[in-house]
Amino acid sequence: MLLSRKLKKYAFFMPMVIWLLVFLLYPTLDLIRLSFKDIGFVTEGSTGYTFDNFTQLFSHSDFYTILRVTIIFVFFSVLLQMSLGFILARIMVAGEERGLLGTVLVRTSVLIGWVIPGVVVGIIWNLFLTESSTGILNYWLNTWGIGRVPFLSDPTWALISVTVANVWRGTAASMIMQYAGLKVLPNEIHEAAIIDGASFIQETLYVTIPAMKPVLYTNLVLITIKTVNTFDSIISLTGGGPGRSTEVLALSSYLRVFRQFDLGSGASIAVILFTVNLLMTLVYSRLIDFDEEKGRTV
Amino acid sequence: MRKKDKFINIGIYISYGIIILTFLFPLIWIISLSLKDLQNLFAVPPKIIPDTFAFENYNRVFRQSDLGGYLINSVKIVFFSIVGTLIISVPAAFNFSRLRFKFKKGMLFGVLIFQMMSPLIIAIPLFRYFNALGIQDKHWSVILIYIAIEIPFQTWLLKSFFDSIPQSIDEAAEIDGCTRLQTLTKVILPLSAPGLASSIIFAGIHGWSQFIIPFVLLDNPDLYPISVGILNYQSTVETISTHLLAAASIISIIPAVILFIAMQRFIIGALTAGAVKG
Repeated sequence: MLLSRKLKKYAFFMPMVIWLLVFLLYPTLDLIRLSFKDIGFVTEGSTGYTFDNFTQLFSHSDFYTILRVTIIFVFFSVLLQMSLGFILARIMVAGEERGLLGTVLVRTSVLIGWVIPGVVVGIIWNLFLTESSTGILNYWLNTWGIGRVPFLSDPTWALISVTVANVWRGTAASMIMQYAGLKVLPNEIHEAAIIDGASFIQETLYVTIPAMKPVLYTNLVLITIKTVNTFDSIISLTGGGPGRSTEVLALSSYLRVFRQFDLGSGASIAVILFTVNLLMTLVYSRLIDFDEEKGRTV
Repeated sequence: MRKKDKFINIGIYISYGIIILTFLFPLIWIISLSLKDLQNLFAVPPKIIPDTFAFENYNRVFRQSDLGGYLINSVKIVFFSIVGTLIISVPAAFNFSRLRFKFKKGMLFGVLIFQMMSPLIIAIPLFRYFNALGIQDKHWSVILIYIAIEIPFQTWLLKSFFDSIPQSIDEAAEIDGCTRLQTLTKVILPLSAPGLASSIIFAGIHGWSQFIIPFVLLDNPDLYPISVGILNYQSTVETISTHLLAAASIISIIPAVILFIAMQRFIIGALTAGAVKG
C-alpha cells in the first residue's frame, strides 16, 4: 500500500522522463557514437570506430577559421549585450524612479527583436544593410560623405554585421535580467555612496556593479550558451559568407551536414558544440540554487 | 537641485528616444519596404514613408507564395506542441516543487543540460531515425520533437511558479479528500493561472521560432512552418521583389509580435527569474 502510493507519486515524472530519454538523451549519445564512425546519411560505412572525423577536422585550417569566427562573434555579442543591457536597464530604472512616461514603450521596442524568429531577424537585417540600391543605410552613409560600406560582402564587415544583428535580437534578455537585478538592490547603498560624495560613474563602478555580481554572472553564462548555439539568423543574413568569414561553429555543423552532406565532419562539430554546452551548463549549475524550496518570486 | 533634476529628466527622455529609434528602425524600414511599389522601391532618395501605400504587396505575397499555408502549419504545430508540453511538464514540475528525494538535484541538473543544449545536436540522429522509420514528413512526428525540446525549459519555469504556492494549500486539499492529481488540477493549477499564461506564451514564441527541427525533418514544402518556409521564399526572391520579401517577413512575425505585446506583462516576470534562458 505504502509502496504503491509512493510509486503513484513518482508517476508524475514518467512522461517527462520517457520523452527526455527517447527524444533527447538517446539521440545525443548516438550522435557521439556516430562522430566516431565513417557514416553516410542512411548507412553506416564500416562497423569499426575511428578517430578520422576528428583528425581530419583538426588537421584542416578551416576548423581554426571557424573557431576564430565563433570566438569573435560570441565575445562581442556577449560583451555588447551585457553592457547595452546594463545601460538600458539603468536608464529605465532611473526613468521609473522619476515617474517618467514611456518606460513600457522602451521595454517593448527592445523586446520585439527577441520575439522574431532568427531566420526573419536575418532577413530583416539583410534588407536593411544590403548593398543594392534598396538599402537605406548605405544610401545615408553615402550622402553623409562616408561612402558605401560593404556590410555583407567584406569578410570583416560581414562579421560585424552578424554580431550587430545578434546584439539587436539578444539585448532584451540581458536588459530584463539586469533590470530585475537593479530593482532588488536596496536603495540605501546608492544613497550611502552619494552621501559619501561618489560621482555617478564611481557609484556605478564601485557600488552598483559589485552588488549586481550574482545577476551579472548568471546573465553572462546564459547568454554565452545562447550565443554559442545561435546560427539561424546568420543563415539568412550572410549564409556564413563571404567565404567562411561568418561561419560559426553551429552554422558550420549545419552547413556540412545539410548542405554539403558531409555527415562525419558535421557530427564531430556537433559533438564539440555539445561539449561546450555541457561545460557551460556545469558552470551555470554552480550559480543557481537547486535546493530552494518555497517562496521564490517570479 | 530642481534645475538639475529637469536636465536629468530631459536626458532620460532623449535616451528613451534614441533607444526606441535604434531598436525599432530596422523594423520600421521593413514595414516601409513592404508598402512600396516598384517605383518607390528604387526611388532616390529612398523614402521612409512612400508616396502611395502599396497594400496589394501583401495580397500578392499570399497569392504568389505558399505563405498562407506556412502560417497555418505553424499555428497547428505550435498549438499541439504547447498542449503536449504542458501535459508533460506540469506534473513533473509539480513533483520537483513538492517532493524531496535522493536524486532530485541530479535529475534537475539533467533537465538543465537538455534545456541548454542546441537542438542541432539531436537533429542529425533524428533525421536518420525518422527516415528509417518512414515517419519523416509528418506534422505529428515533428510535434513530438518540439515537445521534447520545450519540456526542460517549461519544467524549470513551472517549478518556479509552483514553488511560490505554499505547500499548506496542498495539505488542506488532501485533507478535504483530493487525490494528488485532483490537488494539482483543481487547486494548484487555478492558483498558477498567471504562471501558466506565461508558460503558454514562452512555448508559443519558442515554437514559432523553431527552425532546425522542421528544416531537417520535413521535406515536403507543403508542410513547412513559417520559419522554414520564409527561408525557402527568400531563396527564390530577387532584388526586384525586395518589397514582397519585406511583406512576407512582416506577415511571418505578426502573430508572435501581437501575442507578445498583448501578453507582455506575463512574460516580463518570468524572464527576470534566473532559471530562464533568454
